[in-house]
Amino acid sequence: MTGRAHLLLVLLTLGVVGFVLHLVRSGRLRAKYAMLWTTVGAGLVVLAAFPALLDRTALEVGVLYPPAAFLMAAVAFLLVLSVHFSWELSRLEERTRTLAEEVALLRDELAQQGGGGSPSTSTTAAADSPDVGAGHEGHESHENGSSAEPDSRVTGP
Amino acid sequence: MRTLVIIPAYNEQDALPPTVQELRSHQPDLDVVVISDGSTDRTATVARSLGVRVLELPFNLGIGGALRTGFLFAVRNGYDAAVQFDADGQHDPAHVKTLLDALDGGADMVIGSRFAETSARYDVGGTRRGAMRVLQIIVRLLSGRRYSDTSSGFRGFNHDVLMFFSRNYPSEYMESVESLILATFEGFRVVEVPVDMRPRAAGEASSRRLKLAYHYLRLLLVLGSSASRRRQVRAGVA
Repeated sequence: MTGRAHLLLVLLTLGVVGFVLHLVRSGRLRAKYAMLWTTVGAGLVVLAAFPALLDRTALEVGVLYPPAAFLMAAVAFLLVLSVHFSWELSRLEERTRTLAEEVALLRDELAQQGGGGSPSTSTTAAADSPDVGAGHEGHESHENGSSAEPDSRVTGP
Repeated sequence: MRTLVIIPAYNEQDALPPTVQELRSHQPDLDVVVISDGSTDRTATVARSLGVRVLELPFNLGIGGALRTGFLFAVRNGYDAAVQFDADGQHDPAHVKTLLDALDGGADMVIGSRFAETSARYDVGGTRRGAMRVLQIIVRLLSGRRYSDTSSGFRGFNHDVLMFFSRNYPSEYMESVESLILATFEGFRVVEVPVDMRPRAAGEASSRRLKLAYHYLRLLLVLGSSASRRRQVRAGVA
């Protein structure tokens, strides 16, 4: 590797690490991913700064062409990571679904209590519940009315 | 016995009123809940004007998600049984009683079948018929039971099945087959009764082949994995 390409590589990796640190600092990355990417970044910086490290390690393991060793490790790592992300996405999707179902049920409960859609616009809701949050506390009281037909459904949300 | 009719509806503002009215005339004493599955038309407003309970999902979850919401509603409001009913007028409300009778007779879950011996002939396209037959065979291999109509959406559930499905109802396309397998594996008594169905009033029967093929593969994977899970459970018990 020529000196200039070497320098460029080091700068690039530093840039990536800097970006990760920026994300962490602004609180847009969960701590576990922050740890992950800072570790990866640090590793890359070390490798970029001292390419001889990679050469030596690869030869030690028995890979004659060091870049191949690096690529293989990178692919394996990314594969594991994307499987992990798929798992996490599935879990999040399931939670989102559950939340959507709860929202539908809660909206119905609110409508049953107040006879109206959103608590902020409904004046009838104010009669039996002093504030918006009362919808959560009044959990016991709604059970009775739930089987009856709705009395007045004037407003939709 | 308190029974609930669950009607999942996605953009069914036109089909819903006749369906609900006909249902009422046959079964005036049953409570009805419509789940508007992220509808972009006036489905929820129309349903409210009909005087039925309406659950509005904030976005489209698909039929499985809508049903699970309905099951959750039934469980939380103390219903003993529920019937799943199509909004598009495909199901004959006269047969709701057929389903309920089967539940009374000791079934945990009952399926209204278009293809049972005594049903009137129900026409489906060639590809669809072939697809349904393959599903039927898979279901038979996995569950050891023979069902003539695995994809029927005209079903009845008792309280135990409602409890189970309110947590576990599958969410992806062709969820009817998957749920059938789940219920069988769980040890519920699933019974088929013959019903007549009308051709769909409107809307497209989803039969785009590529989509169907994809969902077939997906279903095979899901069914295979639940079958293997079943074996694990058995092994764990033994």
